[in-house]
Amino acid sequence: MEGIRTTVRTPSRFFEWLDERTRFGTLVQYLSTKTVPRHKHSLWYYFGGLTLFFFIVQIVTGVLLALYYKPIPELAHESVRRIVNEIPHGWLIRSIHNWGANLMVASLLIHMFSVFFLKAYRRPREVMWLTGVLLMLIVFGFCFTGYLLPWDTTAYFATLIGTEVPRTLPIIGDWGVSLLKGEEQVGSETLSRMYVIHIIILPLTALFFIAFHILLNQIHGSSSPVGVDDVKPAIPFFPNFVLRDFVCWSLGAAALLTIASLSPAGLGEIADPYASAPVGIKPEWYFLPLYQTLRMAPATIFGINGELIVNLLVVALSTIWFLIPFLDRNASKGVRSRWFIVAGIAMIGYLIVTIILAYTT
Amino acid sequence: MRDSKVSKGEKHQQRRDVLKWLLGTWSIAVAAPGLKSLLEYVTPRKPQSTQTLIQRIASTADLEPNTAKVFKVNKDPVIVVHTATGQFKAFNARCTHLGCVVQFSPDETPPHFICNCHGSEFDINGKNIAGPASRPLTPYRVIVRESNILVAKI
Repeated sequence: MEGIRTTVRTPSRFFEWLDERTRFGTLVQYLSTKTVPRHKHSLWYYFGGLTLFFFIVQIVTGVLLALYYKPIPELAHESVRRIVNEIPHGWLIRSIHNWGANLMVASLLIHMFSVFFLKAYRRPREVMWLTGVLLMLIVFGFCFTGYLLPWDTTAYFATLIGTEVPRTLPIIGDWGVSLLKGEEQVGSETLSRMYVIHIIILPLTALFFIAFHILLNQIHGSSSPVGVDDVKPAIPFFPNFVLRDFVCWSLGAAALLTIASLSPAGLGEIADPYASAPVGIKPEWYFLPLYQTLRMAPATIFGINGELIVNLLVVALSTIWFLIPFLDRNASKGVRSRWFIVAGIAMIGYLIVTIILAYTT
Repeated sequence: MRDSKVSKGEKHQQRRDVLKWLLGTWSIAVAAPGLKSLLEYVTPRKPQSTQTLIQRIASTADLEPNTAKVFKVNKDPVIVVHTATGQFKAFNARCTHLGCVVQFSPDETPPHFICNCHGSEFDINGKNIAGPASRPLTPYRVIVRESNILVAKI
């Protein structure tokens, strides 16, 4: 009996000791009193957590890839080839990193549009929306800066185009391009800059905003959608919601492993800056709307450079998207504003149409 | 006499205001040159010009009529085309839209340059004729001397 008592007491003593020094018990207590609403749209709550899961996968696989990757044009392609062909499980780790990025973007877009349509950005969650949009930009930054690292033909031309896009912007255009490239053409300086942004600057910035985003979520809780009547009794965040989140993460991990194993990430020919861009070259699916818009834009529109108009339009739309909580004032009064719903559907429609056009034309 | 009427609390507030102002001014005075130095550090310097004015790139036998090749001239890709009529023309191969290297399409009628990135097209004289590019390709001067092709920036 004495033996049994000891084994039962040991962990509780340890937790008491830990609680006295960290007060983590207060956090557990808070999380178990916090509740999550339940209704017919509850499914959308899980995509924020799923995006976080894919982000963690990216960090882990990114660190593993960085052990062997060499950010110098002469060595970069060969080091990736070595990771894929010679390092044990290297192909799988690279494939998970590649597909993880795709799934992270997909999950993030679903999360963001669900927050948009459920009006979860309304008072008092405006700052959560702002940090969320900033995190979306950071994720696109991750995708763009990581794309050059394998130094193959597609990576080279995609970066060449991407770094040239802001050039037409007034005042900051030329300076921004030179800041991104580090030299006149995409080369070793560009690769160093992309690598540093990809593995140091963006992860640190992302961790800060993720922490802030999650903290705000804990303070305000999950929002109940405007105009939903079938609200069921809420469930405790801990352990009920966390366990469901865990199931969701497991499904995400299973999907990622399956795709990464069945369709390993490819590696093209080493980049040749003096060769013509290959026929049919296209960016990743999440950059296709911008690619297709740039492709469709005429050289001049009413005498103004077409590319400049596309750039200004992207800046204007991004600013409006960022400021949505302050523009949609009806949402805070619990009223669904039809025009914002229509605008959101139109935006999704445009994204889908441009992606289809980019693949088919 | 007037000073003596100012209460102790008000005096403290005035002192705090002065200190706040000093702290703010000091922060800006330190941060502004720091930021300027940081921007100078991350902004790349323009490279010193070490460009060769005229460069031999190939012999005339290397280019059949109605074909083109891209050569590295200084740091630029230069596309040299041998036209069906026997002329040699050279252009900076960077598409004026977003910088991809253009390709010569000899089978099109008439033969012209095409950019595979966003579909811009340029005629045999480098003029933009279709797609999003708003400027012509930058021409180079071509000199053919004793079956050597030389190019120079104009």
